[in-house]
Amino acid sequence: MAQLRRQARVPSQPPATTTTPTPPPALDVRGVRKSYGATVALDGVDLVVEPGTIVGLLGRNGAGKTSLVSVVAGLLRPDAGRVLVDGVDIAHEPRRARALIGLAPQDTGVYLPLSVRDNLRFFGGLSDLHGRERATRIEEVGAALMLDELMDRRARDLSGGERRRLHTAIAVLHRPRLVLLDEPTTGADVQTRRELLRLVTNLSREGSAVVYSTHYLQEIEELGAGVALIDHGRIVARGALDELIRQYGSSALELSFTGAVPPAANVAGSRVTGTTVRIATDDPAATAALVLGGLGAGASSLCSMEIVRPTLESVFTTLTGQRLSREVEPAA
Amino acid sequence: MSSARRLGTIVAHELRLARHDPVSIMVLLVFPVITIAFLKPAFRPALVEGGFTHANGAEHVVPGQAVMSAFFIVSLVTFSFFSEHGWATWDRLRASRATSFEIIAGKSLPRIAIGIAQLGVLLIAGVVLFGLHIRGNGFALVPLIVTFSVCLVLLGVAVTALCRTAQEAGAFAYLGMVLFGAIGGAFVPFDLLPAWARAIAPLTPTYWAMRGMRSVVLDGQGLGGVGLPCAALAGMGIVFAFVARRRLRFDETKSGWA
Ligand SMILES: Nc1ncnc2c1ncn2[C@@H]1O[C@H](COP(=O)(O)OP(=O)(O)OP(=O)(O)O)[C@@H](O)[C@H]1O
Ligand SMILES: [Mg+2]
Repeated sequence: MAQLRRQARVPSQPPATTTTPTPPPALDVRGVRKSYGATVALDGVDLVVEPGTIVGLLGRNGAGKTSLVSVVAGLLRPDAGRVLVDGVDIAHEPRRARALIGLAPQDTGVYLPLSVRDNLRFFGGLSDLHGRERATRIEEVGAALMLDELMDRRARDLSGGERRRLHTAIAVLHRPRLVLLDEPTTGADVQTRRELLRLVTNLSREGSAVVYSTHYLQEIEELGAGVALIDHGRIVARGALDELIRQYGSSALELSFTGAVPPAANVAGSRVTGTTVRIATDDPAATAALVLGGLGAGASSLCSMEIVRPTLESVFTTLTGQRLSREVEPAA
Repeated sequence: MSSARRLGTIVAHELRLARHDPVSIMVLLVFPVITIAFLKPAFRPALVEGGFTHANGAEHVVPGQAVMSAFFIVSLVTFSFFSEHGWATWDRLRASRATSFEIIAGKSLPRIAIGIAQLGVLLIAGVVLFGLHIRGNGFALVPLIVTFSVCLVLLGVAVTALCRTAQEAGAFAYLGMVLFGAIGGAFVPFDLLPAWARAIAPLTPTYWAMRGMRSVVLDGQGLGGVGLPCAALAGMGIVFAFVARRRLRFDETKSGWA
């Protein structure tokens, strides 16, 4: 019987046969605007996040990521628009909505004089977790974020990365339906990053929706997350990673030679840097065939050929006209 | 039910944080004991001259220094809010299930208890160490101590509401301690104050606390002696609570220290 009902909820079924209404999205943001004086931080944001999915909120400094997260968490009142968390309006029933959210703000927020365990116990208690249940959750989350050895250490005596892990642990202690992580990997080393990403993946497997703001495209790619590109307070693109890349990403063919780039490789859309030529193209394979055929004797100095697949970075560049990560820009 | 439990969680948490703050204990207990030892002989003549021939000075100095140092509770309350901003935990509190009432009450209750304990300990220390003789019914001081502590904590919440930085709040609280202490007759006995100070003294909580103390300790009264002072302190507490309610904005970004 239960199985039948579950089958009836498959979205392709016509509504007439469904016995239970489809569950509301974990997060449903509509037309949210927020200004600080003359600065428009959010300029009409719409964003829907389904349960069990991860959305990478990607944008440059000042794009509006923290403002959006703060509005969703009920910390900031929007000038217009509405936010539903699991169908609960954050403006009308803030306490019910807040109980569904786990927030790790951009700034690390922990009680420095208290131990890791006391920090977790306090926030657990605020989320109405007590006794055995709380102790078990602290163990689980502590293990997931490599805090188990540090439980009795004062937060003041933790390293920056360790503190960041505690900061994130606090947000997920009560198994929130919606997890908001604002740049969780700030100051994290390779291992901490890996554990944080694994935690996020596990959360989504357990059915939580995760909004994950970051500057690092690679993290979104590693998470296989959906993407919401935010720029100047607007969501400029939203979708699955590969879809966005297919739609907006630009691919290229890159050839390197032992000596100067032969003139035959200098086709339309190419850019020569030293002994390497990069040819922007929608169909790298066809272009490769064309260029190789045209090289003739010049092919002898070819030492490598690479099809450069489109990346999220190129999607971002296409959509905003700017690069996201500063570190890949040439030094000024 | 869950609200009461959350309140308990916050209270326990605040007490845990207070344990990590030994400096406050120094300010609340050790300093006044030292000043009492130094000031006691100096105030004996004034009391004797006022007709209390058996007085040894402790009758003014012990309540006076206790009341003055209790003002530090105001700073403790403001610290407890501003350090949340310093630790960046304020937004986490706000984003939690706790209501603003639970947060404020959770921060206030432990400090009210600290105020009561501090005043009680200092008065007992006065009796044991400094020969303080309470002529009236000492238990009449209990409601006075309680209302005074509540009043100071509410003043602390009001000061927090009015200030944007921890420095401002600290200066405000310190100024309050010194000014109110002096004008209210905690430092120099009321009778020796200049006329202008005596005229405005009833505007300070210190005055009412001292008046209640004096009527029990020196004048030998019981509960009847503390009725009016308690009512006045409660009235001021209501005013402070009103200011706090009007001005405290939970979404204000304050600059605090950790
Ligand atoms: N309290 C504030 N007062 C005034 N302006 C603000 C305030 N907070 C944010 N802003 C402005 O709003 C815009 C969006 O800021 P927000 O913090 O949301 O960006 P962000 O995407 O989180 O940036 P970052 O990657 O640097 O964290 C910025 O132009 C910022 O200067
Ligand atoms: Mg931000």
